[in-house]
Order: sequence, then C-alpha cells, then structure tokens
Amino acid sequence: MRLNDIEKAMLNGEYGKAAKWAIRYQQQVGDFFDAKDFVEVRLIRIDADRETVGESGITFLEELANLPLSERRPRVFAASDFRGFDAPALQYLLPGRDVSAETDAVAELCRKLGITTSHPFINDHSVTSPAFGEVCCYSGSYSVIYLNSIVGARSNYEAGPSGLAALFTGRIPRYGFHLDAVRKGTDAFKLAFRPSNVTEWGALGAIIGRRLNSYWRVPAIEVPGAKPSILELNHLGINLASYGSHAMFHVIGVTPEAPDWDTAWGGSPPAPDEITHQEVKDFFAGWGGEGEPLDIVALATPQLMTTQLLRIAEILENKKVHPNTTLLLYTPVEIKQVCESLGITAVIEKAGGRLVHGHDFFATFAKEIREEHGWERLMTYSAKMANICAGYGYKPTVAPIDLCVESAVEGKVLV
Amino acid sequence: MRVTEIRGHRGIGPAVEGIALAAADNFSTRYDLDRDRGIFSRPSHKLYGESYIGRILVLNAAKGGIASAWMLREMVQSGKAPLALLLNDANPVMAQGAAFADLSFMDRFTGDITSLIRTGDTVYVDPAVGLVRIHRANNAGGCQCD
Repeated sequence: MRLNDIEKAMLNGEYGKAAKWAIRYQQQVGDFFDAKDFVEVRLIRIDADRETVGESGITFLEELANLPLSERRPRVFAASDFRGFDAPALQYLLPGRDVSAETDAVAELCRKLGITTSHPFINDHSVTSPAFGEVCCYSGSYSVIYLNSIVGARSNYEAGPSGLAALFTGRIPRYGFHLDAVRKGTDAFKLAFRPSNVTEWGALGAIIGRRLNSYWRVPAIEVPGAKPSILELNHLGINLASYGSHAMFHVIGVTPEAPDWDTAWGGSPPAPDEITHQEVKDFFAGWGGEGEPLDIVALATPQLMTTQLLRIAEILENKKVHPNTTLLLYTPVEIKQVCESLGITAVIEKAGGRLVHGHDFFATFAKEIREEHGWERLMTYSAKMANICAGYGYKPTVAPIDLCVESAVEGKVLV
Repeated sequence: MRVTEIRGHRGIGPAVEGIALAAADNFSTRYDLDRDRGIFSRPSHKLYGESYIGRILVLNAAKGGIASAWMLREMVQSGKAPLALLLNDANPVMAQGAAFADLSFMDRFTGDITSLIRTGDTVYVDPAVGLVRIHRANNAGGCQCD
C-alpha cells in the first residue's frame, strides 16, 4: 500500500504506540485485499459486546487503555452500541453469572479509550445514520449492508479490532465497497410475488444469500407492487448478510444507487432469475418442528418496534403464555419506556411474556442459556437468529410474529 | 508420497504445517462452532462433530458477520483454534480476525481448495508467498468429509 507522510510517521511510532500497532495491522489487511492506499474516515462504530470480545479481547483493550493518553490518542469519533443491559432479565436467563457487570467492564474500557458508549442502534431504529457517499467504518454486518444499500454510505465489514485501529489512525484501507466498481450489481433477480410481512422479506434475504454466498457479490432485485419500507429492506439486508455474507444489495427503483437497472448494474443486465413465493414457503417448511413442544419464543434481530409490540399485546390480551414456554420480546430501552407509558408492558407481563432490552438474544450467551434451562425448540421471526442459534444447539423454527406469539400461547409450534 | 503445490493470494500469518480437515461447506466462528469444546456444532455443517483444534481447516467461503474477528484471537489464545484457515473466498472479517490473531490464513487459490485438499492430507501453508503444499500418501483412502 502507498503510505503518505502521516501514515509513515504512524508506522515509525511518532503518533504513539496504539497508532503504530493500528497502522501496521491495517496495512496487513489492506495488503491482503490489494488496497492501494488509505482513505480518511469520519465515523466509527465498534462492535464490542461482551460475548464476542472474549477474555483475550478484554486483555487487549486493557493493554491499550493502560497506555498514557499520548500513546493512544483517539483521532476520530467512535461509538459502541452497548444498548444498555437488562440486568433482571439476564439474572433470570443466566442466574449463575453477572453478565451485566461483565458488560459494564467492557463499556468502561471503551470509554477510557475515547469510545462513546450508547444505547442507540441503527437496526433497532433508534439512531440516525451517515450521509450518502460518506466513508464509514462500521462493524456490524447488518449495519454495513444497511449503510451501503439503503443509505448509500460506504463501508466494508470492519470488525471490532478494525474499528479500534481506525480510531487511532483516522483512516481505513480503500478497497471493497469504497470503490465504485465493487458497488455495482453482480446478480440479477426478479420477484414473482411481493413478500407479505417482514419475516418473508428476511426469508428472501436468506434464499438469495444461500444461493450467492460471497461478500463480493451484490444482488440486484426487482420487486413488484408498492415500494418496500425501510423496515422490510432492513430484514432483507440483515439476512443477506447473515446467510450470504453480503455487504450490499440494490432494489431497483428504491435504493439510492439503483434508480434503474442500467445504473445499478453499470450497463445492461442479463435477464434476472425469478424467485417464487413457493421458495419462501419451502424455506419456512425446511426448519420443521410442527406440533412439537415449544421451549422458547425469542423475537429479536432486529428488535421490535412499538407498532409490532402493540400488535403482540393485542394477541396476548386476556391470554396466558403456556407454562412450559418462555416468551422473550426484545426492544430498545427507549421503546421499552414507551411501551410502559402505553400500557403494552402490563398486558405482555400479565400474559406471562417478558420485555427485554439490551443486546440481542443470540449475542448474550445463547448457548449457555440453552444449557441452563434445558431448552431445545426455539421459535423466532428472525431468519438470522435461527441461522445462528442452530449452531448453538437449538432447533429453531422461523415464522411470522403472529404465529410465534400464538405458538407461545399454545405451547407448541403452530405453522 | 505425492506432493502437489497450489498458489493462492498472498495471505496473513506464519508458515505452518499440519493435518487437513476439509469440506465443501462455508465457515463462521459464531454460526458453526462450539468454541469451548473446539468442535463444529452446527448439525447441518459437513464437519459437524469434528474437532478443528490444531488442524489446517479448509472450507469454501466466509459467511455471516463480524464476530469472527474477536473470536479468532480468543480461540488462538485459549489453544482452541485451527492451525491455519484456507478458504476459497474470504470476507474482510476473516482477514481482519486472522491478522488480529496471527492465524495463518489464505484465500483466492488457482483452483477449488476444498476439492484439492482432502481431510488427512499433510499440508504446508506459507501465507507470505501464497503457497500451499499438499503431501498425500499414495494409499490415501480419501476420507473427505463432504
């Protein structure tokens, strides 16, 4: 990679030990992807949830935090979305462990390094996002695909250590989705139907992701009927990232870099592959579980909005969640407060459900939770959560929200 | 003993030699592994139940999101990591994680790495020069997991 005078000085240690580690680390990654140079970044989001960071990550953060400030000066604004922590809920889920305190320790280290710790989270609809064309350094795959596709900002997947490195250098390697050519569509699709709920949009992302399965491929999709909402596109993107490791998609006539096929593709596209509603139905059926006893229903990833929680409260009015089933409804702390004001919380709790805020179910030691409670059959509206929890020993079933909640009442999987 | 050399893109991490664990399936540390036990825990994965500790792990593509970067370092430092990771198609997270963990890592080979290497092959990996050397016993039975 070409280094300018500042970057060379960082490599020589003139900007402190943290920047020296960081620029060398970034150079390794940049070389791996044939980056020609660095590009300055204005905004960083660092993924640092306690489960993901692990013990070695904490040690690494402590080593950085113990340096004098002159050796670790932050050079750009960075935030980490700790999203608060629902201590009572986690004491119920993992009674032998104080996850809340463990998370506080990571948050404190981040603050010491100059990283703002906050609750807002793009996919939970409680934070603004960068501008069109803006160079970003975001870590969550779900956030990255949202920024590239829906906002038109530019970011690669920049995992926790990468964001940390950019904090000290103020720049990132220029490759991948910072380059115009990489942002063009590579695979053309046309829907023969319009998904009828967010879970179907998620299933669509999973189907395309499984088919393409490469970070470097950019699906371009033609959708019939009304323009999809931001929430629907969010579910599509989250699952493209989860199942296909994709970082960008286009919806023709909807997303900002796809006003028409030719622009999205960078020329004339081939005839698109058609995706049918039957494929979505097959995706749901593939998870199985019909009629089986249901241990847990967890609705998160993304977390629930006020309107969705209102709908759930309507379903649960004057009903009880089955005694053998646990119903967890994840929502940002700000929306949780709104739910209390609106009386939604009271209805849900009276029925035996539980509102949970903070990190998603899958990111708070879901494997250990399963072992603690002896749970197996999980139901969720999120295809991404099912994808992850299948590796944690759960038997997941994916279904729309209404069906998940009705199943929780019946205590068995309804399809 | 048959020896085959394969070229890939210049990679990350030290030169290592070990026994391969290979399959034509994809890879994520979060989605596929029980990292406490060092085994593949996803029932649908072609390496389900297999231990990857100390192996030259050979798979198709990186999948999923960002967790692998932190997790690869945790796996290396706890002694529960593969010796090297070879993928046909990496994403940035795997490269960032390998660099953070100092794990040997390569991708973009001249052929499909999951069909060129079989489980049980002895494999030498030199990321600095983009070289993979496969040593296969002449009577190898071909215990490929896929």
